[in-house]
Amino acid sequence: MSDATPPPPQPPAPHSDDALMSRFDRMGLRRFRARDAVLAVLLAAILLVVSQGDSIRKAGEQMNPGIGREIVLGVGRPAAWIADQLPLAGVSNAATAWLSPNPSLKGLQGFSSLTAATANGQAQVVSPEQFDPAAIGDKPPPRRPLHTLLVTGDSMSEPLDSDLAQLLAPKGVHVIQEPHVGSGISNTLLVDWGKLAALQVREHHPEAVVIFIGANEGFPMPGPSGREVECCSTAWAAIYANRVRQMANTYRQNGLARVYWLTLPTPREAARAAIARVVNAAIEVGVEPWANQIRVIDTVPIFTPNETYRDAMSVHGSQTIVRQADGIHLNDAGSSLLAGIVLARIERDFSD
Amino acid sequence: MLFPTVQFAIFFPIVLTISWALMSRPSLWKPFIIVASYIFYASASWRFCFLLAGVTLGNQTAAVLLRRTEDERRRRLIVGTAVALDLGVLGVFKYYSFFVQQLADVLGHAGLGVPLPLITIALPVGISFYTFQAISYVVDVKRRLVEPASLLDAAVYLSFFPHLVAGPIVRAREFLPQLARPRNPNRVAVGSGIALIALGVVEKVVIADYLARTVVEPVFAVPQAYTGPNVLLAAYGYAAQIYCDFSGYTNIAIGLALLMGYVFPQNFRSPYRATGFRDFWRRWHMTLSRFLRDFLYIPLGGNRGGRLATYRNLMITMILGGLWHGAAWTFVLWGAFQGAGLVTEHALHGRISAPAWLKWFVTFHLIVFGWILFRSESLHLAGVFLSRLLTLGAPTLWTAPVVSAIVVVIGLQLLPEKPLERFQVRIERLRPAVLAVGLAIVIVFSAATVPSQGVPPFIYFRF
Repeated sequence: MSDATPPPPQPPAPHSDDALMSRFDRMGLRRFRARDAVLAVLLAAILLVVSQGDSIRKAGEQMNPGIGREIVLGVGRPAAWIADQLPLAGVSNAATAWLSPNPSLKGLQGFSSLTAATANGQAQVVSPEQFDPAAIGDKPPPRRPLHTLLVTGDSMSEPLDSDLAQLLAPKGVHVIQEPHVGSGISNTLLVDWGKLAALQVREHHPEAVVIFIGANEGFPMPGPSGREVECCSTAWAAIYANRVRQMANTYRQNGLARVYWLTLPTPREAARAAIARVVNAAIEVGVEPWANQIRVIDTVPIFTPNETYRDAMSVHGSQTIVRQADGIHLNDAGSSLLAGIVLARIERDFSD
Repeated sequence: MLFPTVQFAIFFPIVLTISWALMSRPSLWKPFIIVASYIFYASASWRFCFLLAGVTLGNQTAAVLLRRTEDERRRRLIVGTAVALDLGVLGVFKYYSFFVQQLADVLGHAGLGVPLPLITIALPVGISFYTFQAISYVVDVKRRLVEPASLLDAAVYLSFFPHLVAGPIVRAREFLPQLARPRNPNRVAVGSGIALIALGVVEKVVIADYLARTVVEPVFAVPQAYTGPNVLLAAYGYAAQIYCDFSGYTNIAIGLALLMGYVFPQNFRSPYRATGFRDFWRRWHMTLSRFLRDFLYIPLGGNRGGRLATYRNLMITMILGGLWHGAAWTFVLWGAFQGAGLVTEHALHGRISAPAWLKWFVTFHLIVFGWILFRSESLHLAGVFLSRLLTLGAPTLWTAPVVSAIVVVIGLQLLPEKPLERFQVRIERLRPAVLAVGLAIVIVFSAATVPSQGVPPFIYFRF
């Protein structure tokens, strides 16, 4: 082994790109003290607290449980209180309201109206609408042309919405894609799906609705007594099913429209899989009264038979990855496969 | 943790305050900033902190071994091993599923249905950026452009949160010297920092996300449902969106670093002002293009092997540069298109003369064409998009706000640079309190434009 002393390190050779690093040293640029930097950032933060305190609290409430949520709520709750005491929040809300891209859900009936309505436990009368004619050999209603299809849900509905739009575009069907990423039926903080469904129907009057939602469920919901019910008991499932029922009833538009409600393929994570199982059961129960108008497309046997998660499956004879790396969503190939199945189901109800 | 979120708005003032309080004591500051950066990274997924730590340890070991040997063969072996490990990490996490699926398809079509381990692997945020920085570190040490850093310095360099998840790709020789001594607390570019953060928020939240929501996403998802004028608008819209999205992120990152006393290299210089492909790559994602030049194009031989070898090297560099953006054939095709543009420009150099405005016009539209390949979900949809460009119909999406946003984004880049710089200097000279109030107003108004589902991730987060 050589014991020669290594040569002293050479200073870095000048490089043409190094000039990019000195661009803040140009003439006339004012320098301040570090204290000014800290004070400026804190001043901006204080102004945000007094003008947006309530938004900070709401952002915390929308987060999944964990330390991050606790920290944001730890700041957001006092910030909301401070903002309530000062006039700046009202001023900033009034000044910026016109910029909001969110549709107004004012005046629409949301899930909060359900609590009282579901408190009684009376048996319901069975109606003919609870039977799918095809399932019992009865004559189905005549098929009619489809002009407008709404594809909605949370992130699960992407890219299914695009796939359906591409499949139906040559047939002249107007496909409205309305994913509400991060939302959930059990979490009304981001959006109340009861109200949103009413708004979607009022705005678009779709003849068919495809809904694929459930990636963000498991939040506590107020029960019939008004107390919060934690996931995933039968009580929670009943509340969820009632919410599904309210939405389904809205989407079916008194029998004018067909609804295709997709269940969740089993997620990879055991905790999520437990929630998905309850959500799927609640969907089945929720849409029961209108089996002749609402089709449940069960994705579990397609993607996760026996509720066993798998990344890949046989598609048209070759093994194909169908799930995204998060173990929740379908990837492009999986979504494309599902779009074909949904389309086949739609074509049984509608003519070209 | 995205920059324009409540979580980050809570995180940063705390970290900035403690950072300056500890700045004069590097033995405390460095561990603090590493912990803060890892907390920032863990908010995406704590599991990937181990990967970041592993990449840091692996490359630092290589750097230390390089210092201990003068034997050129051994030095090459050390660097080769470190780079292979970095690329291996990148390959497994970013490209495994893609290439195994392609292989399974080919074998399936050939009737050789060999069962392959088809699994999905989560892509760690920022992996493309910090593995490239790690490569630049060991290669620069090998080239003796920079001395091996201490483990703490190397960890700060690779994990420093302002550049951790989407660059800019800061070279070791640019950052490590800044760690050699505490930043001067009397010379902080507060004005530039706050102005860049405010500009970045507007670019990302107000412009990029608005264009994405209203035009780009609907049209690129189902181009067959839109008329030619609307498809054309979506192409221009994406050119504006991707610039504002990435430039917005970069401006925020550079601004945050400035407030902490650190300087990052420039990443954009009015790219839509370019009058050729070479010019474009000197203005667009400059830290990536110089990385590709220094660590791929030149090692391949650069322009030293004659005309054909130069063309080959350009094509390889740009195709791999395209693939760096993601595991999809659209990115490969986009890279090949950029390579072909550079080759053509090289071949025609000095043979054709054209007025500057014509060069700009042609270049701009070729770049926009490239973005169509880049943005499309598949090669098939790219083809549909291009074919729809030729159809006639009503320009229903050409609304005043959308057109104004696109014109402002592209038009501002065409204005003379000097007056803009003077305007920038004037803003940067304002008192910090005035700038803070301005930043708060910008954030309040920008936040009002955010839809209920929040701010979508930066485009470059998934690269």
